[in-house]
Amino acid sequence: MLFKVQSAANSGLEALGVDIEISVSNRGLPGFDIVGLPDKAVQESKERVRAAIGNSKIEFPQRKITVNLAPADIPKEGSLYDLPIAVGIMASVLQYEIPPNSLFLGELSLDGKLRHTKGAVLMALFAKEQGFQNVFVPAESANEAAIIQGVNVYGIKNLTEIAGLFLGKSFLRPVAYQKKEELTEDIEFDMAEVLGQETAKRAVEIAAAGGHNILMIGSPGSGKTMLARALPGILPRLNEEESLEVTKLYSIAGSMPPRGSLITTRPFRSPHHSVSQIGLIGGGQKPQPGEISLAHRGVLFLDEFNEFPRSVLEGLRQPVEDGALTISRSKERVTYPCRFMLVASANPCPCGYLNHPRKPCVCTPREIKKYRKRASGPILERIDLHVEVPEVDVEEFRGNQKSTSAAESSCSIRERMSEARKIQETRFAEESIYTNAEMKNAHIKKYAALSKEAEQMVLRAALQYQLSARSFMKMIKIARTIADLAFEQQIGKEHMLEALQYRPKIYELD
Amino acid sequence: MADSITKESPRYPTLLGELRDAPKQLYYRGNWDGIFSVEGGSASGGEKCLAVVGTRRMTSYGKRMTEQIVGEVAAAGVTVVSGFMYGIDAEAHKAALRAGGKTIAVMPCGIDVVHPEYQADLYQEILDTGGLVVSEYEGTHPALYWTFPRRNRIVAGLSKATLVVEAGEDSGALITADLAKKYGRKLFAVPNPLTSAVSQGVTRLLKEGATIASSADDILKYFGFRTRSRVRPYSQVGSDPTPQIAGELEQKIMQVLFKESMQIDALARKLKIPAAQLGAAISMLQLEGCITEEQGKLYVV
Repeated sequence: MLFKVQSAANSGLEALGVDIEISVSNRGLPGFDIVGLPDKAVQESKERVRAAIGNSKIEFPQRKITVNLAPADIPKEGSLYDLPIAVGIMASVLQYEIPPNSLFLGELSLDGKLRHTKGAVLMALFAKEQGFQNVFVPAESANEAAIIQGVNVYGIKNLTEIAGLFLGKSFLRPVAYQKKEELTEDIEFDMAEVLGQETAKRAVEIAAAGGHNILMIGSPGSGKTMLARALPGILPRLNEEESLEVTKLYSIAGSMPPRGSLITTRPFRSPHHSVSQIGLIGGGQKPQPGEISLAHRGVLFLDEFNEFPRSVLEGLRQPVEDGALTISRSKERVTYPCRFMLVASANPCPCGYLNHPRKPCVCTPREIKKYRKRASGPILERIDLHVEVPEVDVEEFRGNQKSTSAAESSCSIRERMSEARKIQETRFAEESIYTNAEMKNAHIKKYAALSKEAEQMVLRAALQYQLSARSFMKMIKIARTIADLAFEQQIGKEHMLEALQYRPKIYELD
Repeated sequence: MADSITKESPRYPTLLGELRDAPKQLYYRGNWDGIFSVEGGSASGGEKCLAVVGTRRMTSYGKRMTEQIVGEVAAAGVTVVSGFMYGIDAEAHKAALRAGGKTIAVMPCGIDVVHPEYQADLYQEILDTGGLVVSEYEGTHPALYWTFPRRNRIVAGLSKATLVVEAGEDSGALITADLAKKYGRKLFAVPNPLTSAVSQGVTRLLKEGATIASSADDILKYFGFRTRSRVRPYSQVGSDPTPQIAGELEQKIMQVLFKESMQIDALARKLKIPAAQLGAAISMLQLEGCITEEQGKLYVV
């Protein structure tokens, strides 16, 4: 007897159809083999399937079972073929019809239950594109798959349930997508809690509004990390397209929680500086998305920027520019998107107290030079806003509670950010970009018109501060965002002047 | 090639010669006679030399005061002697050079060595402007733990007076100050904020009787120069902003900064103006060259 069950394999964010052929033969010695370039996890599926079927009170056929995963030339990994294999084998015993036009995936537990499986949303999307009607996934992953409208997603709890369904003994409704209650508590730090730092806050707002990369330089404890952590709270929510992109990535990376739904808040990733290049960029034998891809459409926060190994940081250059990264391995090539906002923080010198109002700096000029050289120049060049986060005199605020309560809350800042993003989306409707930060030179010419005065200012500043051509363009990009925040069509003199405040000052490039 | 002068030579600086442990031989590069010659030399044997010493861990306050006071003193014609270390030393040399004055660097190492080597530019500038580099060590003798305090006695011994700008509790500048007192030279100290970690040493000196130098006048008076110098002392800088500055906000900013230099955020709070608006105004003033940002604070130029 031959049974065919359909499933899918993923290669990066692409899914490919996999036909699973299960032959249950009366001839030959009883046995169970899987062929078709399976990896270790797929091989082990034999044991899981045998035990799961047995423990579901279904007789496991004592025959020669051969499972073929076709096409044989693409590598198949993971435990997601447990369910399709089990469905095929059970069909030989229970004699049910496997519904046509259906896609199966899921990992089995030894007791016959199905476990949460990564990649469900990708499979559902693949099913829709390929015209499948039904998708059978573990109940825990069903909500995630149901994000995709237009296919029937069935959430299966265990093998007994699916057997009963196919035998007509029970009935199961397709899962209706349930949007998870938005957590109102997604604001870790409110901007209003950050004392003082008016300039730095403003810079962070500009960065958030235009998706610009930002470098914050300041002494330990001055509030760099807090500002960065407050960022997710002011970033506008993801739009639908962006949500799906992010959800797909998280699903592939196995980072979706059970019963997870569409991700609507922007990701915030802050890898420790001991991160490896593959951890940051992505890769591995079976290429997995790295931190930069998990920060797609969100924030990648590199705290203590100078402590990251140079080789790791240099790997960021091209992804920062392109917003996507292709990982090439001998067996496959995959492309993961990684359009993130880079937020870096650094100390001004090794001891951290350069320019500190009270503590003296104990670094020699040579040490400071060496320390600053450690930050990668090419990466610094790709950071639009440079801002100092000076030490705050807490005493000044202690007696003066008013000034803290006057600070704007994250919620109201977020509204302004959303407005600014909307302006940008409308502006770039015909382009493939979303934000001002992504503008290339051609876009700048087209969309960032300077008023005469603004142009004079930036030319004058370029001369006086010896701005490089790249810095020059960055200033215009920042001014564009500042003008958007002020709802101005044209970039005025005051926008340009403010942008100049965020030019590289401390970490000047030689 | 470095030249040398022995203690017996008539060209040997008179004030330094008074020391019991005066170096037997001094190696030098640069304009010896133009500075030390008793007749016509700018320092006339050391009578017109001011030693300026201080911490390596200079704060923005120390930098500011060095620029202000030393610059004026040098402009008036006093030769500035210091130890060529980074921090206050280097700042004193630079201030003297900027003011068009003469300066002497006393090295803690052999005359053929520049220490610290990344200040080679400053070294060259001192020589190019008719200044002098002096050392009691020949050739490529390295700077060692014990050469620094030995060097300090030359710094103090060469000069008629010594000015301490900033010094922590264990600062090497205090060695120079104590030597100056021992040699019977005048000791000046710039008062420091007591909250600063590099103020303890200066405070101790002031308690022990050093003269307060609150402006260049205090020092110039001692050297016998006409006081009422061209620049007003720092504390008395007027509150009349330069009239050509356009814009009400810009005017207000200048008024505040004339009284007190401050961080941009502090300014925003003081003027109750959003950082965005203030940033634009500050940029404008910077482009106009009215204010400058140094070590995180805004100053009126």
